[in-house]
Amino acid sequence: MNKESSVTLKSKLDKIIALLLIIILSVMVLNVTWQVFSRYILQDPSSFTDELSRYLLIWLGMLGSAYVAGQENHLAIDILPQKLTGKPKMRLMIFIHLVIIAFALPVMVLGGSNLVYITYILGQKSATLQVPLAYVYAIIPLSGLLVLYYQITLIKNILINKTA
Amino acid sequence: MEYISIIVLVVIFVSLMALGVPVAWSLGLSGFITLLVTVATVPSATTIAQRMGTGLDSFALLAIPFFILAGEIMNKGGIANRLINLAKAITGKLPGGLLYVNVISAMLFGAIAGSAVAAASAIGGILGPRMEKDGYPKELGASVNITSSTMGLIIPPSNILIVYSLASGGVSIAALFIAGYIPGIFIGLLLMITAAIFIKKHNLPAGEVTSWKELGSKFFSALPSLMLLIIVIGGIVIGVFTATEASAIAVIYTLVLSFIYRELRVKDLPSILMKASETTSIVMLLIATSMSMSWVMSSEDIPQSISSALLTLSDNKFVILIMINLILLFVGLFMDMTPAVLIFTPIFLPVVTSLGIDPVHFGIIMVLNLCIGVCTPPVGSVLFIGVGVAKTTIAKVFLPLLPFFLVMVLGLIILTLWPQMTLWLPSLFGL
Repeated sequence: MNKESSVTLKSKLDKIIALLLIIILSVMVLNVTWQVFSRYILQDPSSFTDELSRYLLIWLGMLGSAYVAGQENHLAIDILPQKLTGKPKMRLMIFIHLVIIAFALPVMVLGGSNLVYITYILGQKSATLQVPLAYVYAIIPLSGLLVLYYQITLIKNILINKTA
Repeated sequence: MEYISIIVLVVIFVSLMALGVPVAWSLGLSGFITLLVTVATVPSATTIAQRMGTGLDSFALLAIPFFILAGEIMNKGGIANRLINLAKAITGKLPGGLLYVNVISAMLFGAIAGSAVAAASAIGGILGPRMEKDGYPKELGASVNITSSTMGLIIPPSNILIVYSLASGGVSIAALFIAGYIPGIFIGLLLMITAAIFIKKHNLPAGEVTSWKELGSKFFSALPSLMLLIIVIGGIVIGVFTATEASAIAVIYTLVLSFIYRELRVKDLPSILMKASETTSIVMLLIATSMSMSWVMSSEDIPQSISSALLTLSDNKFVILIMINLILLFVGLFMDMTPAVLIFTPIFLPVVTSLGIDPVHFGIIMVLNLCIGVCTPPVGSVLFIGVGVAKTTIAKVFLPLLPFFLVMVLGLIILTLWPQMTLWLPSLFGL
């Protein structure tokens, strides 16, 4: 069996998110460059760039956070996890993943969905682009779901491989 | 009531962090649980989610991903090397000159890239092997590298000063940037003087003498990189563009320069963009959860209780500043800069402004203070990187580092007691 056929859902998901992040960041750079260009060269300041970049930043930050959580790269004080080995380490790592779930599930997924629902019902729209704010905030529950998926996968890997 | 909240908040946050839960999630979860003490579940969860979203909704914050991206491009595009070569041509011929080279290039590179971790790894990685070949004690080199790397956080452009501007509710970024020059260069000089003492003690060798002609050529090869500083900072100070616009121009400029140097190919771009996205996300999650934590604290009146407690102790502004400095030095031992700035600025800034301290002065003091924190164990991101690239250990580097810390603390005290040193330059520009 060659390696390519064993590509997991996680690595597919990683690739899709990575591609999205690269696109978002590139658009952000072009967008703000356009803002400067339109103001100084065209003498006709563009009105949408400010808002668009701010919303893209929320998307980049949230989506990227989920990705980085999947890579276990968020800034942590890993003195204790580094010291432990074997079973105690496995237990601690599972506990850490559960703590992240304890935040992502109620706050990001449920609280975030409620936030999206409220802004949708109220019909709140952004000032210049007139985008429903619900679309902007939708990235919060979405990223929450991704965080959940990644944490569960990480826990599963610990249990299957019997090592952390 | 607020005391229960403070205790819940601190105990949960510290325990989670100590167990190894990533700092950002620890902040979010402890803020959420604290809010649950007084507010029902659904509104608590919704509010925290909303604060995370609105916390990132800021045009000023956009400068952070762009400066991070520009730093990544410079790292790959041969700009770091040219800056080091210039520094070498200036001070390389002195005995122990590589240590001065380290300080100067850290200030230049950190100034352009705005990241102490990037400066410590790039410069330590390039200079470390040279120092080892010339018989410099590894730990001395690492100490100089670690402490001087943080000066890039004070010398503009600086992401952490943008974060402070946000946390302070809009202190001018241009004023903060300009204010950073003298303190940053001042601490850099103090570090070089300290290095000089150890150079004598270890009798370190001098490097090769560079001719004027070579110095000139090194300068011209570094000139385009230095020009970036002038465009970015000049543009912000004159008011041609905002910090965010300047950061986007920095990206385009470094990109074009790296292509001209032929050290960067189009096919390198996706990995650079991805690396910058990841670093940005790490910072953004910290900002999002710090902002929600900060909101919980103010809704529980925690800042007010702390400020009134501080003000009952003394109403002398320098006594208060010294006390705040001591608290922040302690906080910096355990906490990374970004959350520390976002959480403690709303607590301390009202206290100090009520005593007539300039918010620009306070911002520089706070960031400088936390710069010491990122070099100290047990938690110090720059310390970890610096020790890592020098292939030594924290235990071995601790004693050689100590004098450099003390010098930074000395510099901090001087800058705290002498506001003019920070405020003179911005006042010159009318900021």
